[in-house]
Amino acid sequence: MKASLGVLALALGATSAFLGIAVLGWGIRRGDERLLRLGRRYAFMILGASALAVFAMEWALITHDFSLRYVAENNARSTPLLFTITGLWAALEGSILLWGLILGGYLAYMAYHFRKRATDPVVAWAMLVGFAVALFFFILMLGPADPFKTLSAVPANGQGPNPLLQNHPLMAFHPPMLYMGYVGMTVPFAFAIAALITGRLGEGWLTETRRSTLVAWGFLSVGIILGAWWSYEVLGWGGYWAWDPVENASLLPWLTATAFIHSVIVQERRGMLRVWNLSLVVATFCLTILGTFLTRSGVLNSVHSFTESPIGPWLLGFLAFVTIGSVLLIAWRGDKLRAPGRIDSPVSREAAFLVNNLLFAALAVVVLLGTVYPLLAEALQNRQLSVGEPYFDRMTTPVGVALLFFMAVAPALPWRATSGEVLRKRLIVPAWFGVGVMLVAALLGVHSVWTLLTFGLAAFAIGGIVRQFAVGFRAQHAAGASWWQAPVRTVRGSPRLYGGLIVHAGIVAIAVALAASSAFTTKDEVRLNRGETATVSGYDFTYVRRDVTSSAQKRQVKAQIRIERDGKDLGTYAPAVSMFPGATSGIGTPSVRTGLLRDVYLTLVSAPTDRDRVTIGIAINPMVVWIWIGGGLIAVGTIVALLPARRRAVVPPRPAAGAGPGGPAGNGDGPGDDGTDRDDRDVPATVTA
Amino acid sequence: MKHPARWVAGAVAVLLVAFSVVLATQVGSDPRADAKKSQLAGKDAPEFTVETLDGQELTEADLAGKATIVNFWNTWCIPCREEHPELTKFYERHADDPDFVMLGIVRDDNRKAVDRWMRANGDAWTIATDPGGNAALSFGTRGQPETFAISPDGLVVGYQFGPSSVRDLETLLAAARGGTGL
Amino acid sequence: MSPSRRGWIPWILLGVVAAGVLVWAVWPSGDPTDAERTRSLAHELRCPDCESLSAADSQTASARAIRRDLKQRVAEGQSDATIRRAYVDRYGESILLKPERGGLGLLVWGLPVLLLIAGAGALVVAFRRWRGAAPLQPTDDDEALVREMRTGERAS
Repeated sequence: MKASLGVLALALGATSAFLGIAVLGWGIRRGDERLLRLGRRYAFMILGASALAVFAMEWALITHDFSLRYVAENNARSTPLLFTITGLWAALEGSILLWGLILGGYLAYMAYHFRKRATDPVVAWAMLVGFAVALFFFILMLGPADPFKTLSAVPANGQGPNPLLQNHPLMAFHPPMLYMGYVGMTVPFAFAIAALITGRLGEGWLTETRRSTLVAWGFLSVGIILGAWWSYEVLGWGGYWAWDPVENASLLPWLTATAFIHSVIVQERRGMLRVWNLSLVVATFCLTILGTFLTRSGVLNSVHSFTESPIGPWLLGFLAFVTIGSVLLIAWRGDKLRAPGRIDSPVSREAAFLVNNLLFAALAVVVLLGTVYPLLAEALQNRQLSVGEPYFDRMTTPVGVALLFFMAVAPALPWRATSGEVLRKRLIVPAWFGVGVMLVAALLGVHSVWTLLTFGLAAFAIGGIVRQFAVGFRAQHAAGASWWQAPVRTVRGSPRLYGGLIVHAGIVAIAVALAASSAFTTKDEVRLNRGETATVSGYDFTYVRRDVTSSAQKRQVKAQIRIERDGKDLGTYAPAVSMFPGATSGIGTPSVRTGLLRDVYLTLVSAPTDRDRVTIGIAINPMVVWIWIGGGLIAVGTIVALLPARRRAVVPPRPAAGAGPGGPAGNGDGPGDDGTDRDDRDVPATVTA
Repeated sequence: MKHPARWVAGAVAVLLVAFSVVLATQVGSDPRADAKKSQLAGKDAPEFTVETLDGQELTEADLAGKATIVNFWNTWCIPCREEHPELTKFYERHADDPDFVMLGIVRDDNRKAVDRWMRANGDAWTIATDPGGNAALSFGTRGQPETFAISPDGLVVGYQFGPSSVRDLETLLAAARGGTGL
Repeated sequence: MSPSRRGWIPWILLGVVAAGVLVWAVWPSGDPTDAERTRSLAHELRCPDCESLSAADSQTASARAIRRDLKQRVAEGQSDATIRRAYVDRYGESILLKPERGGLGLLVWGLPVLLLIAGAGALVVAFRRWRGAAPLQPTDDDEALVREMRTGERAS
């Protein structure tokens, strides 16, 4: 019943996608506006169908209907409700259902948002491309990754989700967030392809998709950070990022998307980098598919490869088709993509964006090569090789530090060109702040060049951000806003700029946390009898008692450890080992005392014995919490950047003095003009969308 | 071909095709195939020291001159439990052979669990613990169960990753007796 | 001294201080200690019974055994290369998390650097060319287009 409902829904989805493609294709060919208006409506059918399919699966999960193979493999009667619901994304087939639902959501958003422009060929083609992607995923679900496969012999109980996936509530948020990001990249991709096909390669398609790209980027960022958090809180090795193929797969599209949201500004302003931006959008979408392929087809081993399935060749075929098709399209449109603009000076905001893009591209190349290197080695030389942290750290650290430097400098650079004097004046205070922090860090005993540079440049960047906010407040205050109104007005006047700066602050926090935690973590193991105390890095750890709790889901053994420092009780923390029915070995759960400066991270090395002896692993991880705080700042900054800019009451028609097709540009290099306020405000043309 | 985008795109397309072909050749191949063969195959068995349950030290020298089966196992691993009846059956067949030794080395487990296991199962072959996990490391084990065949002159001549059946064990023993194999 | 030159003084001072701090902080303080060598080797070896973690990060039995073994080997005075070789002999090349410096390893170590240099070179060339080119003047068509867009926008 539920299986039939699910399959029916999937078939409905596939049919809608197919009809959508046919109707839109026919409409575009005939120039029939009626058909074009009709065609977009299939997006709502797709959303409805995928929602119905997800509903069927959730219904089966919640009612423990083990006649479905997926439910039998990823649910058990004892699974708590939360993890029963999250069972939807505990394995590949269900994840693709979620993928379909989110894609349906984005398509419906597109259809609604552009309802008045359904007859515009760019919009029609974009919808068509979106439908084609949806069709592919529906076919995947009807064929090789069928989530509604039934079992002829219905088991009395299911196997339950992988123990690692039913151990922490973050499981409810991390995968959906990541998928919201992954799938959202379909929207700019669809518009990019539409622009290529129609030949309307101006800046129109960019402005259409700027917001949805930013939304997807925000979700992807938050999803990645939640994944790191999950890894930190659940896997128990004390770290948050292992350069595992699955993690790299989520990072790759993030890198290209980040490059894009910077370089897109150059195209909006100056009409340049058309090929580059199209390539970044296409690359981002392809990397989401490549990531899914690498991690779900079983070609690479990964701690996260909870499932393997026969969808490898399908994904690979789709990937090859999309990538090669897009490249050929770009080649075909090469002549139309000639950039008319130019960049006046290497000391300008747009030049900094170019360097930013170069560095992000380099990062993406490093991560991609490192991830697929074992595959290349096996294919070319039949050797089994691994690539891990030492390679990625060595290669990404210098690029990351360079990015930090440009992040500090670029926001102070005006558009077009500037004199060295203006720049020197703007940067001197933040730069000295950075050097001061570096000096203090060195005096406190930091001896690594990269750590010192990270701290110094982070301070430099933060100094620049604070300065820009201060300039904005002061300008608003001078314009008559009271001191408490000024911040709001500043941000509302130019949400893209200030949202971006908040995101930058989040990145700085993460950079500092990464540098500090990788350089200064201390690890130790102590064996304790009950009541005994050990001292590690100035903290006293006392083994208080052992607790055993049993439920149908799991049997958990906890060691209660009291942490004290200088005689002050910091609370009792309980690292645990859980035994899940059917699992071979226990799953350790760390217990973390989070602090602004350092976390105390406790794990059970050996479970407490009957005779009350326990071995605990203790890690002191400095500043890790700032990664999560940074993630929060990124989310807030993205939301701020998405706010509609408050239109000025009067928009004087400014002369298009030497402006590119991107719209009137300000002049940031006049004496006394700080260039941060008026210059960086959205041009009105981009606000209306 | 006036615009550089054309030939750049062409080059990228060629690269992508090559990359797709490489990926395609890897679909269906096991990423950890090397885990299923031992690097020690054909080489001298490593030096190791383990502790038998009655507290005696046992080293590779004690195995010299005998066809040896070394089995890494522990009490909590399910495949090991599945393998156990096969090991028992196999050992009973050859227990009287004076030129044959079977050694079970406990990997990653605690002594108490092993004692409990022995009380319940009373394995007749030699069981030894591996304090510090050095023997497991010397043999390059990745998990358990893993089984090695060592010839009387001390060469590793056979290896089985994962649970062995009686037939697998007979093959390993034949290799150990023949001094060649693989 | 012209005023613009004078503007450079704090920057030169800043550069000197920053360089001084860096040089002073990282001035080599002798060979790495045994503990440092053990730690860096442990980071280079994959934990055999997990997937992507190094022996330094993992808590599995074999990772712990590797850490102990490394400590002992370093104390015995074995060189890093000898230790790596010993592990490759037992576990195969896939135990090493760091690609080789030559051969196929050049691809992962060299290609990104090469591309970065090529990209930077292309940027320099582009900036030179742009500097030489005359600024683009809007043509009548462009002006017409802008007017059209503006009116269209107001209508929408």
